[in-house]
Amino acid sequence: MKKKLIWAAEHALLVVVSFMIIFPIFWMFLTSLKRPIDAYSITFNFQPTFENFITVFRDPWNLGSMVLNSALVAGITVMIAVPCSSLAAYSFSRFRVKGRKILFFLVLSTQFIPAVVIVLPFFLMFRSLGLLDTRIALIIVNLAIVTPFVIWMIKGFIDALPVDSEEAAMIDGASRLRVIRDIVLPMATPGILTSSIFCFILTWNEFLFSLILTRRNAVTLPVGLVNFRTERGDLWELMSAAGVLITVPIFLMAILIQKHFTRGMTAGAIK
Amino acid sequence: MTEVQLVDVEKRYGSFVALQKQSLTIQQGEFLVLLGPSGCGKTTTMRMIAGLEEVTSGKILIANELVNDKPPKDRDIAMVFQNYGLYPHMSVAQNIEYPLKLRGMDKATRNKRVLEIAIKVELESLLKRRPSQLSGGQRQRVALARAIVRTPKIFLMDEPLSNLDAKLRVTMRAELKHLHHELGVTTVYVTHDQMEAMTLASRIAVMREGRIVQLDTPKNIYSKPDNLFVAGFIGSPSMNLIEGDVRSGFFRATAVKIPVQFQDATSVVLGVRPEDLKIVSKNSAPITASVYAIELTGESTLVTMKHEATSICVRESADYEARINDVCHIAARTTGKLHLFDKSTGQRISTCSVKPTKC
Ligand SMILES: Nc1ncnc2c1ncn2[C@@H]1O[C@H](COP(=O)(O)OP(=O)(O)O)[C@@H](O)[C@H]1O
Ligand SMILES: [Mg+2]
Repeated sequence: MKKKLIWAAEHALLVVVSFMIIFPIFWMFLTSLKRPIDAYSITFNFQPTFENFITVFRDPWNLGSMVLNSALVAGITVMIAVPCSSLAAYSFSRFRVKGRKILFFLVLSTQFIPAVVIVLPFFLMFRSLGLLDTRIALIIVNLAIVTPFVIWMIKGFIDALPVDSEEAAMIDGASRLRVIRDIVLPMATPGILTSSIFCFILTWNEFLFSLILTRRNAVTLPVGLVNFRTERGDLWELMSAAGVLITVPIFLMAILIQKHFTRGMTAGAIK
Repeated sequence: MTEVQLVDVEKRYGSFVALQKQSLTIQQGEFLVLLGPSGCGKTTTMRMIAGLEEVTSGKILIANELVNDKPPKDRDIAMVFQNYGLYPHMSVAQNIEYPLKLRGMDKATRNKRVLEIAIKVELESLLKRRPSQLSGGQRQRVALARAIVRTPKIFLMDEPLSNLDAKLRVTMRAELKHLHHELGVTTVYVTHDQMEAMTLASRIAVMREGRIVQLDTPKNIYSKPDNLFVAGFIGSPSMNLIEGDVRSGFFRATAVKIPVQFQDATSVVLGVRPEDLKIVSKNSAPITASVYAIELTGESTLVTMKHEATSICVRESADYEARINDVCHIAARTTGKLHLFDKSTGQRISTCSVKPTKC
């Protein structure tokens, strides 16, 4: 009896929480399919239209260039951050160097600094360098934000790999780099993929730095959303359509991670 | 010819000394076993030879060449790890092939060689499987195949049989022995199992707390243990060790009076193996005690006798019969099998003969 009650309470709570999380997203999808006149009405009975998804790519919104900016910034950040972080993570995990723990802590401690504290120095720096409103500036900033996190994540995955196989490879005649290529990378792939996707999501969603460091040319999607608050009022149906465009890639990647994450957990040592 | 030489090699982990300044010379073609209880530094010693662990001080030479600063890949060794250290993401064939691939051998020769070795260790039907789809014994054979697929200067094996069940262990032991005979490659083998050590070794280095306490042939280790540790460690059941004194030609302890050819000494330990004793009917025999336990092992009967605190084990024939609490008399079975140890230093001071059942 008591068990049943607990079971019911648990499930009720799950339903409530899921509803709170899912409903706004669901509503956004719904609104993105509405015509402007329906946008403010709370109804499921409306004429669905894909018009909004076309409008946002037209003048004056030009979401296309923002999609490109976001994709380039996130993509290049991942392509630089992940290989570098993988090597760093391997070193932190395997080499018993003096001061290794302190160094690792220092790297991680950069994550404790609130973004608002450093956004202004970054702004001044990039102004002096003439890099304001460029994708390069965003990539540099995002690298600074994301790299410590990715190092930490990948280190976790590498720590869990058996050292035996690596030592066996070294004895079989492999150099350290060869060991990383032939043994560590294939075994750490699920972990590295997961980290890459996390990295991509973080960069893709980054808002504050993009807001401060860009004006027109390098604006990314999250910042672009703000454009839909006009003097004519908030254009909810267009904002929702843009929101859907931001969310869908992340959604797909989340599904990918889920698959790889369980793989990452189950691949492991053979004893 | 000398193959491996350790000169005053020491290993510390922080302040903990895992290996205390030890020297060891291993001859070419030898099968040297490092034997000792868990934690005595066997693996550490082997890993230093492999180059997986740096020495704190001292020199390691392979084929008369200093290798202290050489990475493992340049030492021309092959190793079988205790947990096999297979490559989980590669098939059995790829696992065996990997050392050859690293040496730039062409694909056709590689395939041929892998198949040859696979047949030798009876893995040819499993070549496509992943290590995770194999049993312990099969994984062990993959690890072995990967080690013998090329001919290195030295084989290193760290308790390769310890994860196998008892029956397989005995079969694989014979396989290893045959393999060594066939390939003639210098082998260093780590184990805590004295049976493995006795059966495989050309020489055994018995280790304790980071030191080699005796280095000799299995025969000598067994019949002439240098100290109390080796005496107690080797042999199953282990050697009887009785504390007492030597006075006027007799070793004396409670209920024990054995004639020995040795000058008077106090605080000595007499060591004698169960199979070097026998139970006799004469009540004038050197040792008198009552039966405490009788265990039939199959090929023999182990009779444990007790007199006060002294406990003595005698190996008798399988058809020996006795009842618990029977009072028995014990005598030496052969000459030259009594060992006297100094109790304080633990060192053997003499192996003396006694005339069997002299009384
Ligand atoms: N990396 C290490 N750090 C600290 N102590 C270690 C390390 N490796 C081994 N030891 C210690 O050294 C001693 C010898 O270890 P080992 O050579 O593995 O023993 P075994 O004879 O069982 O193979 C043990 O007491 C062990 O705890
Ligand atoms: Mg060990």
